[in-house]
Amino acid sequence: MKKYLKYLLPVLVPFIILLLPASSFGIDGMTLVEQRVIAIFVMATLCWVLEPIPIYATSVLIIVLQLLLISDKGLWFTKSAPAEELGHLISHKALMGTFASPIIMLFLGGFFLAMAATKYRLDVNLARVLLKPFGQNPKFVMLGLMMITAVFSMFMSNTATTAMMLSILTPVIALFGRDDLGKVAFALSVPVAANIGGIGTPIGTPPNAVALKYLVDENNISFGEWMVFGVPFVVVMLFIAWLLLTTLFPASIKEINLNIKGRFLKTPKAITVYVTFVITILLWLMGGLHGMNSYVVALIPVAVFSMFKIITKEDLKKISWDVLWLVSGGIALGVGLDKSGLAANAIEAIPFAELHPLLLIAGASALCLLMANFMSHTATANLLLPLVAALGASMHSLLPYGGEVVLILAVTFAASLGMSLPISTPPNALAYASGHVETRQMAKVGVVLGIIGLLITYAMLYVLNQLSYVG
Amino acid sequence: MDKINIICVDDEREVLESVSRDLAYFADMFNIEECESAFECEELLEELDAQQEYVGVIISDHVMPEKSGVELLTEVALDHRFLGTKKLLLTGLATQADTIRAINNAKLDNFLEKVWDPQELQQTVKELLTEYIVEKGLEYEDYIEKLDPPTLYRLIKC
Repeated sequence: MKKYLKYLLPVLVPFIILLLPASSFGIDGMTLVEQRVIAIFVMATLCWVLEPIPIYATSVLIIVLQLLLISDKGLWFTKSAPAEELGHLISHKALMGTFASPIIMLFLGGFFLAMAATKYRLDVNLARVLLKPFGQNPKFVMLGLMMITAVFSMFMSNTATTAMMLSILTPVIALFGRDDLGKVAFALSVPVAANIGGIGTPIGTPPNAVALKYLVDENNISFGEWMVFGVPFVVVMLFIAWLLLTTLFPASIKEINLNIKGRFLKTPKAITVYVTFVITILLWLMGGLHGMNSYVVALIPVAVFSMFKIITKEDLKKISWDVLWLVSGGIALGVGLDKSGLAANAIEAIPFAELHPLLLIAGASALCLLMANFMSHTATANLLLPLVAALGASMHSLLPYGGEVVLILAVTFAASLGMSLPISTPPNALAYASGHVETRQMAKVGVVLGIIGLLITYAMLYVLNQLSYVG
Repeated sequence: MDKINIICVDDEREVLESVSRDLAYFADMFNIEECESAFECEELLEELDAQQEYVGVIISDHVMPEKSGVELLTEVALDHRFLGTKKLLLTGLATQADTIRAINNAKLDNFLEKVWDPQELQQTVKELLTEYIVEKGLEYEDYIEKLDPPTLYRLIKC
């Protein structure tokens, strides 16, 4: 029975919600469309938590169900109620558009950059050169590894970065003594740094992209502006993680040598990759100076790499479309809540205003951190961000603390800090597979870093608000 | 989780059992099949294909009556339905000519000599399975505890 529950619940519960009378939700004047939005949201939650189907499939299902049930071109019987009872149907173009929203294009650009960098070995070669100054003392080699992993994961996927760094590390770890705790420290340093590094840029990890969807108009944060607070946060967290790992799991080996083979490619294609990479990042950092926003800039490498066959037809097939779809579903969920009018209505009905705003920030980010430890970071962000964005926009008591931006950023950062179990993130799973780390060791490091990370997030947001940088 | 098979082929019952025993490590996640001849293996392949199951690794003896291991593996190598299936020849009695044919025609992925070291066989199959799963684009997370980490790190690109 328990085995079937994960298949039954995501079907039954939303169905029951659809059948309930509109008055049973405690929201005045709730329309049929709004009721269906709730049902779809509940289905998405159950599917992402219980995972009866792949998480990207849930995203696609959200969009398709929205098109069938609440769009202007949906099934005939979904539109037959009187307009007043029915509510606002959502344009099917808006829902389909989530597959190609500017945020998805930003990520696509990021994927192209990462893919080209890997293909032309820019990543491995940079790692080789950048690791040299860190010498042979295990402590400092580890610091170097963590910094490089973090920087790479700001632009590449956390998983790809982790796999690459672990493959560099594997021969080194083999040289450690059987009981040398240093092995644990090294094996953990990579996923930890990759998870933290993802916070540094808007394209570092999908939850950041989901957050961008809600940081619009006066709350807009550009690529460079994100990095102004993202990178210092990463630096501080990395340093703490390094101290924690070297204290908890000191290495008894005295010297280690990382041996990375290869040299920088100097073919015309490779040089095109280097130049495009640098120019794209510079354009991103310049903000609005050139008139382009980060979404437009992201498409430049897509065009350049396609033109020069740096990314070929075959490479194109290897793009992580599942990640893009996963984010699209999250965006669509937000569109549904917002455009149906449910977000505004529900918040009026629920007395959130009486809640202390700091309690809300702490509660929402702690919940996010907890969820992110047990399920996909992106799915967590997909579920929580539309809710907190709606809440934040309506809560005037939040304004002195920086308004909804602060709430959104706190929850987004919390999503990336969930890393205490092998199942928390793919980088954790890869490191755990190495066999050098026990779950309890990973949990110890992950829990401490999660809690410290949240506290530093609060402190950072407080300072940013005092400086009027956000809010 | 997709069903992935490991097929062992040998005309000697005892050898077959001993290979299976050495591969017991994989038994809880992968399906281990035993065949006493190349023909039996071919039949099994048809059956598995009809069920849309994956064939990750075929471990075959060479000298067998009626049809040799190299012949069997050559057929598998040319069959588009089993593109990517890893082929391991486990034999003590292959001539140089057999070996050349095995490499050129059957596109062997690995060659182990009888008598084999159980640890080595297990490690080899581990690596081959890892390659198969990543190359086929299957969800490696599902099988991760039985896969070879260094191979996994080397192959994962996104």
